[in-house]
Amino acid sequence: MRRFVLSIRKAKTLADPFADGILALLPRLRRFAAGLARDVAEADDLCQMTIERALRSRDRWQAGTRLDSWMYRMMRNIWIDEIRARTRRGETFEAEEAGLAVGASGGQEERVGLGDVDRAMARLPDEQREAVLLVMVEGWSYKEAAEIVGCPVGTLNSRLVRGRDALMTLLGEAA
Amino acid sequence: MTPTPEQIAAFADGQLEGAEQAQVGAAVAADPALARQVEAHRALARRLGAHFAPIAAEPVPDHLAAMLAAPKVVDLAEARARRKGPPRWAWVAGPALAASLVLAVSLGQRSSDYVSDDVALALDRQLTSEQAGAATVRVLLSFRDGDGSFCRAYAASGASGIACRDDEGWKLQAAGQGEAQSGTEYRQAGSEGAIMARAQAMAAGPALDAAEERAARDGGWRKAGS
Repeated sequence: MRRFVLSIRKAKTLADPFADGILALLPRLRRFAAGLARDVAEADDLCQMTIERALRSRDRWQAGTRLDSWMYRMMRNIWIDEIRARTRRGETFEAEEAGLAVGASGGQEERVGLGDVDRAMARLPDEQREAVLLVMVEGWSYKEAAEIVGCPVGTLNSRLVRGRDALMTLLGEAA
Repeated sequence: MTPTPEQIAAFADGQLEGAEQAQVGAAVAADPALARQVEAHRALARRLGAHFAPIAAEPVPDHLAAMLAAPKVVDLAEARARRKGPPRWAWVAGPALAASLVLAVSLGQRSSDYVSDDVALALDRQLTSEQAGAATVRVLLSFRDGDGSFCRAYAASGASGIACRDDEGWKLQAAGQGEAQSGTEYRQAGSEGAIMARAQAMAAGPALDAAEERAARDGGWRKAGS
């Protein structure tokens, strides 16, 4: 038991750049999760699962390589493989209806505007939505975004264009 | 040339390079309809960015941050010792290191030296967690070096340093030079930062906690087995 305590102390008193690095990335990862997921609870689940998997997989992260794109890739894959599938199984249309009701009620203008963005994003196919989020919200280059998604740059580029065209139509910003 | 929709979007995002960027840029400059498309892309990017920005600005929820700091929660004794004030490695590794560049730490050249009597007295007796604020010699922390000898980092009015206990007394291992006389808080902090960084490099493990330090003092700072 004593030995156990000592090993814990040693682990924490020495700086842990891996855990500290993830901690520093959490604000961005939460934003990405909010864009991928449909609601706050689901985004939080996604963050938790991503952190858990990262901690379990830390042996596979090579020090000196980029931690941020590694984490984004992990979050994206968890979203695709686990949460999205789970959501689809239990999907209802309540969220959509509630969103429309907010828009139609003509309440506070700003709130309606924000709701519009969420609703428009929700209508995009997943592959377009993730491309839009990675480049236009998270600020990755096309090449980096393609690496995170695991597709060729040209594919990422065309998904992005289709996604933003759809958004501009839905949001009334077409040129 | 007539740019493709992909090229227009990439141009708006600043993702084109070299000749392609120049060609698309020229086409956009010559055609108000293309310029409107570029502006629409940028307006959309601004709108999306503004929509999601508040989430990244929120404080990270405690339950997520705690997942990455779990050992700190587990080790209650450690947390308690930290609250009492002796500096720990994690504390040293942060801002103090940034300030440490103002100080040169001399090593080796004074290796035959032992600390002065007043410093030796403080190192013999004072516990890091229980020293008067007005003490002329302030012990910063204690640790064991690779040989198992007890070493202590300290700051005094004249200089700061690290000394390790051997059979003769407290042998100076590192000394901060000529900083304290400048008198400013900042420089004093910088001096300590360098000493602490040096201590971290010398130490064979974590700094002693309050109980370990007390036991070492009560044992006359003799290393185990000697």
